[in-house]
Amino acid sequence: MMNSKAFSFCTDIGYLSVNKHDEQLCGDHVELVEQDENSIVFVLADGLGSGVKASILSTLTSKIISTMMANSMSVEDCVATMAATLPVCDVRKVAYSTFTIIRVVNNKEAEIIQYDNPQVIMLRDGKNYDYPKTINQIDGKTIYHSKIPLKLDDTFITTSDGAIYAGVGSSLNFGWQRDNIIEFMEGVYDREYSAKALATILLDECVRLYGGSPGDDTTVGVIKIREREQVNLMIGPPSDPKDLNKMLTLFFSKEGKHIVCGGTTSTLTGQFLGKPVIPCLDYISPDIPPMATIEGVDLVTEGVVTISRVLDYAKDYLGENKLYDDWTILQDGASCIARMLFEDATDINFYVGRAVNAAHQNPNLPITFNIKMQLVDELSKCLKSMGKKIKVSYF
Amino acid sequence: MKNISICVGSSCHLKGSYKIIELAKAYIAEHNLEDKVNLGAAFCLGRCTDGVSVKIDDEIICGVSEGNFRQIFDEKVLADLS
Repeated sequence: MMNSKAFSFCTDIGYLSVNKHDEQLCGDHVELVEQDENSIVFVLADGLGSGVKASILSTLTSKIISTMMANSMSVEDCVATMAATLPVCDVRKVAYSTFTIIRVVNNKEAEIIQYDNPQVIMLRDGKNYDYPKTINQIDGKTIYHSKIPLKLDDTFITTSDGAIYAGVGSSLNFGWQRDNIIEFMEGVYDREYSAKALATILLDECVRLYGGSPGDDTTVGVIKIREREQVNLMIGPPSDPKDLNKMLTLFFSKEGKHIVCGGTTSTLTGQFLGKPVIPCLDYISPDIPPMATIEGVDLVTEGVVTISRVLDYAKDYLGENKLYDDWTILQDGASCIARMLFEDATDINFYVGRAVNAAHQNPNLPITFNIKMQLVDELSKCLKSMGKKIKVSYF
Repeated sequence: MKNISICVGSSCHLKGSYKIIELAKAYIAEHNLEDKVNLGAAFCLGRCTDGVSVKIDDEIICGVSEGNFRQIFDEKVLADLS
């Protein structure tokens, strides 16, 4: 039973960087490779210096290591290849990039290999966990190696050295030591937080300590072990009305949460379940139509307008992450769907009906059948980039 | 007692359901109809080409806008109740 339980784990990964002030490029680089369904290789590299040179060094380093590790080559081979490949800095006469590798194998074990970056912080049940390390010398480099059997909610926090230099000479005398970061993260930890949320909180704190103007490229990456959670979303009635029962039966036979989008779709769902659709009168935000409730369905919302806002949130979340404070708090349909898809779900099944709503084929309305299909397409691409497993079925 | 549902489906929403709901709430308050009118929303009344649709008891009225709102409500709601 232990084994089958472990296989229901998965990794939730979030990382982001800020550049040293006035730099266009980041000298830190994160590479993520999925080795198979249950194994990933995460590499954070920090190139010597800053700007373009550092960026090239860290990009090469993380690409080489992640590709080689994902193909099961040894750390020794990776380091040797790197040493032979990296261009030597003219000024400093060395080719140098630090790296941290976190490899999750079968979602059961984490292997951590560290070279010169701040040591990875591991939280177990929200408290600092001092994991064992062995020291290896490879090519004159001191490399720390750890293997840790995983438990639910284990959280790995890795940073570039920009994080521990935050505040040096300005808000703090000696920067922010690893112990301070541990204390801070233990304080903010909540098992409901996603990896991306934790990474954002820590990076924001670093930027704050730098007084808004980072003295070094700073990167935070968080890997969290969580249970798989399936969410099913249905939008649109099937193109052939005869398929309606099949579509609804398949949809409701799926485990996990159920979201129904669209007025007609909700009405048909209510009839199928024999439950009334009770729409809510109150607009929480004037742009997003109110939700409804149907007993047995977790969320009932309008269709295209709501989903197109969800797509806006998804694009922002993958990019600048400026709207985070909106969709994590607001109670309108789009924000509720965004929270369920971006934060809760690990596996998402879309049930997309291809019926053409005759009423929408009106030149005065900015919604068409194609827009609905495009929305689902784009949204599933974004969700894949967030590391979710996506399945789309058309009816 | 009058049952009024304002459609908040995609098409009607884009044509201004939000505004009509605000107007309806204000109208009910203005005429002290709180006890006589049951105001709710509807999830697509199936008349998407001609929104905003409003259902007053068993009658669906299409094309409700800010411009004709007062006239429609005077005629279909207030006249019936007084």
